[in-house]
Parts: sequence; C-alpha cells; structure tokens
Amino acid sequence: MALTELNYEFKPETPKTIKDDWSHIGVVASGDLEVLIEKENALKGKTKIHILTTVVGFDDVWETVVKKFIDKTGLSGVRVSINDNAATPAVVIRRLQQAVDNGGGLQ
Amino acid sequence: MKINWDDLQSKSFYQATARERAYGMLDKDTFKELLGPRDKMTSPHLLILGEAVEFDDGITVGIGKIKKHPVFVVSQEGKFVGGALGEVNGAKMAYTLKLALKTYEKMKEKYGTVPDDRKPICIVSFDSGGVRLHEANAGLLMHSESMETIWELQNKVPYIAITGSTIGAYGAQGFVCLSADVVIANDFGRIGLTGPEVIQQEVGKDEFDASDRALIWRTMGARSKYILGDVDYLIKDTIGTFRDTIVNMVDEPMSKISKTRKVGSPQLVEENLEVVKLAAEKKIKDSKDLWKIYGNENVDEIPEMSQEKFLSVVKRRPRRH
Amino acid sequence: MIKSLIGKTDEAIQLIFDKDTFQENVIGNTRLDKDLAPPVMVGQAMIDGEVCSVLANNSKRPNPRFRVVYSGILGMEEAYKFSQAMYATIEADKERPKDKKRPIVLLIDTPGNSPGKIEEIVGMTKGTASYQFAIEDARLAGHPVIGLIIGRAVSGGFLCHGLLSDRILALPAEYGTIVHVMPTTSIAVITKIPLERLNELVKTNPVFASGAEYFYDLGGIDEMVKRPEDMRAAIIKSIKEVRALRKQGKEDQLGIWHRGVVGAERGGRQKRMEAIKKMQEEYEKMLPELI
Repeated sequence: MALTELNYEFKPETPKTIKDDWSHIGVVASGDLEVLIEKENALKGKTKIHILTTVVGFDDVWETVVKKFIDKTGLSGVRVSINDNAATPAVVIRRLQQAVDNGGGLQ
Repeated sequence: MKINWDDLQSKSFYQATARERAYGMLDKDTFKELLGPRDKMTSPHLLILGEAVEFDDGITVGIGKIKKHPVFVVSQEGKFVGGALGEVNGAKMAYTLKLALKTYEKMKEKYGTVPDDRKPICIVSFDSGGVRLHEANAGLLMHSESMETIWELQNKVPYIAITGSTIGAYGAQGFVCLSADVVIANDFGRIGLTGPEVIQQEVGKDEFDASDRALIWRTMGARSKYILGDVDYLIKDTIGTFRDTIVNMVDEPMSKISKTRKVGSPQLVEENLEVVKLAAEKKIKDSKDLWKIYGNENVDEIPEMSQEKFLSVVKRRPRRH
Repeated sequence: MIKSLIGKTDEAIQLIFDKDTFQENVIGNTRLDKDLAPPVMVGQAMIDGEVCSVLANNSKRPNPRFRVVYSGILGMEEAYKFSQAMYATIEADKERPKDKKRPIVLLIDTPGNSPGKIEEIVGMTKGTASYQFAIEDARLAGHPVIGLIIGRAVSGGFLCHGLLSDRILALPAEYGTIVHVMPTTSIAVITKIPLERLNELVKTNPVFASGAEYFYDLGGIDEMVKRPEDMRAAIIKSIKEVRALRKQGKEDQLGIWHRGVVGAERGGRQKRMEAIKKMQEEYEKMLPELI
C-alpha cells in the first residue's frame, strides 16, 4: 500500500531539449498520468526521470518505455517528473510526446 | 509551456481539464497560476495512503484578467479523486477567494471606491464531490473557510460559480456553489448535497433509484435548477460561451450582479422557505411536480428538448428578492 | 453521573443556562413559528444573568413533513429556522452597542443534513448556506457566537450548525461525542483502504480520524470541556474572551480562519499553512500589475 518510486537517468546519443523552460500535461485520472518536464542547466546532455506510480511490480516495463522514448527523441537537459495512476505504456508514450509538444517541441 | 487559448474557445467545457477551463475563460494568455504543477505541492495524506498524487493536488488556481478586472480563478479537476477537497487543494481554493478579497481592499485603499470596470472578480469552476475522504477532517474545515470568505466577498467582489464538468458541484461544494452571486451552467451542470447512492440508501430504491440517470439529471441537473432560479445562465457547452457570458457581466455594478444571489439575507431566508413550505404542502414527489407548479406543462419533454427550445418555452420560479 | 448527552438537549440546556430561563421560540420581540422545524430548539435563556440566544436541536423530535429529518438530522426547515433565529437575535439587539450584543450559544448534536430526495429537488444546499451566512452576519454585528458539541457533530451537519462559530467547544469522546465526516469504517469502504491500515495511520495523523480530540489537534475545535458539569463555566469564559478580543479589534483571533493557525500550532494542517504562505508570496509579486 505504498506508491512505487522509480528513478532513471539517461544520456541520449543525439541530445535535444525542449524550447520552453518547462512543460506540463495530463491529469492523474484512473488509467492516466501527468508529465512535468523542467529544463535544468546542470543536466546538460542528461535526462533525469522520476516516477511515482500506484502500480507495483512493473519497474522493467517503465524502464523500457521511458528509455525507448528518450532514445527516440533525444530529450535531455531536463528533469521529467511523472505521477501515474496505472496508465498503459501507450498512454505513457502519448503523454510524454504531448508534454514535449506543449513545451514548444524539441530543438 | 503554452496552452493554445484560441483552440480552447471552441472546446467543450465539459471535456476540458481544470487548467484549460481556467486559461480559456480569461483574456488571452493572462492567466498566471498560483502553486502550479512546478511547485509540486502534492497531498501528503494521499501519499501515506499509497494513493496517486498530482502536482497541483487536483485544482488549478490563479489570477488573470478580463478587460481591466483582476480575476481570481479556482478550477477543480473532477478526474483526480473526484475533484474532492483536502488539505492542500482546499487551502488553494479558500486562499484564492481570500486573495480576491485582499485585492478588493487594496484597491479600495488606493482608489477610495473600487471602480465598476476594475473591480476584482472571482470565478469557481466546480467539478467536485465535496470533502476528500482520505483527509476528511481537513477537507471539512476548508469548506467553512471558503464559506466565510464568500460571505465576506458579498457586495464587494462578484463571485461567479460554474457547473458543467464531469462531477458537478456535490456534497459540501453544492452549497459553496449556490452561495454565489451568479451561477452559470451548461446542460451537464449538476448541483446537489447528497450523492445519489446515499439518497437511495436513505429513502429506498422505490423512491430514488441511484442507477436511474434521468432521475438524477432532473433532480440535480441544470435544467431543474434553472427553473428554480438556482442556475442563472444555462448556456452552450464551449469554453468560449462561458467566457462570453462572464465578459458580458463583469462591468455591471456590484448591486446589479448580486441581484441573482440565492442566499444571504433575512428576505432570502423567507423566500426560500416559501418554496420549502410549498413543496411540503403540495407533497412534491419529483422535480416535475415543482416544474408544473411554476407553470410548465410539458414536463416530460423538458429533459429531452434542445437547449434552445427549453430556453424558449421554460417558465421559471418568479424571484421576489 | 452523566454518561452521554446525545439526544438529551433538554438536559444540556438545564446544565448550561440559568435555572428555568429557557423560553423556546422567543427571541427579543420575535416569536418564531412553533410548528416550523420541530427538531429545532431555539429561543432565549439567561446565562450568568445575561440574556442570550440558544440555537439547539432536539434529536428526539422528528419533522412530520420530511421523512428524512429524524434523530437530529437537519433538514431545510431546520436550517431556515436557525437562520430566522440568527436574524431575530440581530434584530433584538440592533440598538445596543457592538460590545453589548447578546451572546449566541449553539448546542450541537446532529448526524448531518438531510439526505432526502425532496431536499435535493428543493435545495438543502441553500438552507445550509443561508444558515452559515446568518451566523456570519451575527458575528459581524458583534454577537459572540459559541458552539458547543454535546453529542454528534458530523459532516454537513457540523458545517451548517457550528463550524463557523467564534469559538467551538466540545465534550470529549468519553461522553459519547462523535466528531467526523464519516466513521473510519465507512472511509475504508469508500476509499478501499483496509480498515486496519487506517486505524494504524490514525495514531500519527489526525486528518481522517473520528473524534473531537483529533479535531482539536487540527484546529477544528478551540477547546475541550472536560465534563458536562463544566460546560456552563466554559461558555461563560468563552463569551468573555470573544467580547474582549472584539473590543481590542482582534477579530483575526476568532473563527474558522483563526482555527487554521491554531491547528498548525498544535501540529495539524501544516501543509495548509505552507500552501497559503507560498500563495501569498506569489500574489505579492503579482500585486502591482493587479491594482
């Protein structure tokens, strides 16, 4: 009966970052999540991801999903914070992409 | 971070998130959030219980502009724990109302009297079942904080209540909503104190079947409340329509805006009590009985007809005060 | 030896006010309708030689017109009659100076507002809102408003009848008082959190616990009254304190917002204070553009 906390750090090969200082999307409804992306100079070239989820035992799936997204987009120089209430991987990917778009896209 | 204001104007109010409603109702790109997601002030109580948390704790509050008015907005997110109010989001709501009052007082200090076209405005977009049970005691107390502040806003700052989202204004939020100067709703709006399941439990399924959606809508829904005079504007379901309705009233003098208050004076106590007595005397069993008393003959058609048709034929309870 | 005052409002009135001074449905020159809201017991009495208004409810008296108004549940007529009593009190003392306004004592023993169908159709919401506004109107006029929990102070019933008082006093749980939104057993069902876990958490967090003592920790109650025999003295003391604070212009040390500060001092609702402080800072930065 506790939330699962996951932390990941990535260093994508072709680093890009969002245009704006920060970006947010999503509501922590059942089966959904929120994503907050914040630029951080000290993280140049790196991506820190923090996840708080109600789901227990899917750590590997989370790692695969977020790694795939970071590899594909090169999103870096940011801290990504996620609050999740049992979203599926497809929803996670969609929200991550929307968060990037809301932040003015990658550059 | 950018929300596309222009796109929001045609978006369904019912489907919009709390943040979209807050942004979209104010003048373009004027909304500034207080204690927004980046402040990450989540509920410590949900966390301890192992429940999902949200960075804004399920509420968007902030300040923006409509014309020259500073506008204080509270927008509840019904998709997060039913929009219910606890310690953090409750404090955010109550204190936003307080800030509207403080601003009024500061303006009064500065200008002597607060000009009609500059007076602060308060908007609450309801989408809540009331007290968040995971932190029930704190949630209960915040309701009283809001009520006291709303009482203080009377005749100073227009308080506009909106219902038209997924949950409605339920539980204690029901009376926080009806303490407003003006209540605006779309056809999804609902205002009530007790949830349908609890009513069924109390009065029996024969009298109130909580699975009967039509019954729920005609009991707590915006059309019935419009007939009663609890909802003042029944409008189309776009954020832009809500915005236009608000924009059109904000420059009016306070005395005119407060004409649609439902509570707050001995006269209104007597007026409301008359309706209670009438309902008892006529042994009302269903909202339709009350609709008939106020002169509506086509009561079975009322829930089904288009909004235009409804607004053109409806007869409403005459207000005395 | 009194065990509990639930359902015994008559007895509480005898204990609190000067002997045989309670006049039901009389406040100043106003005569309230005795047929309206039978569960409501309002009127005037003397306390320490001074006239005061009494706003109580008698849970032994149901309302024959509304079948979900029984056992202390407050319905629409009840809320409006309480409101009438408040306005009658203000009217009775309208010529008196602000510091001489009669006190108003709320005796609280209610399990909630009426969860009936008719109440939803007509608007229980407006009834409870009206009463809350009337309490604030009386406070503004200068009347000290003291709420005393003698039995149940539950959810909407407490919101409507008591929570906005200048001062809230309560008898402890050993006298059968119940103060909560709903019992922990029901919270467990609705939130799907195991009861054992909730009961464990209650030990360190008063935020969803049932009981006057937990509300005290959160600043929901100003003061605990040890025994029913002490109720009278506690009310007299509170009336004096409220008057003194009003006289000194220290309104901010009374009422619901003040109890938020009190709660934080007692270790409860810390996050509330943190949120307010942060919002105030952000607001001050924006203020020059706003006015």
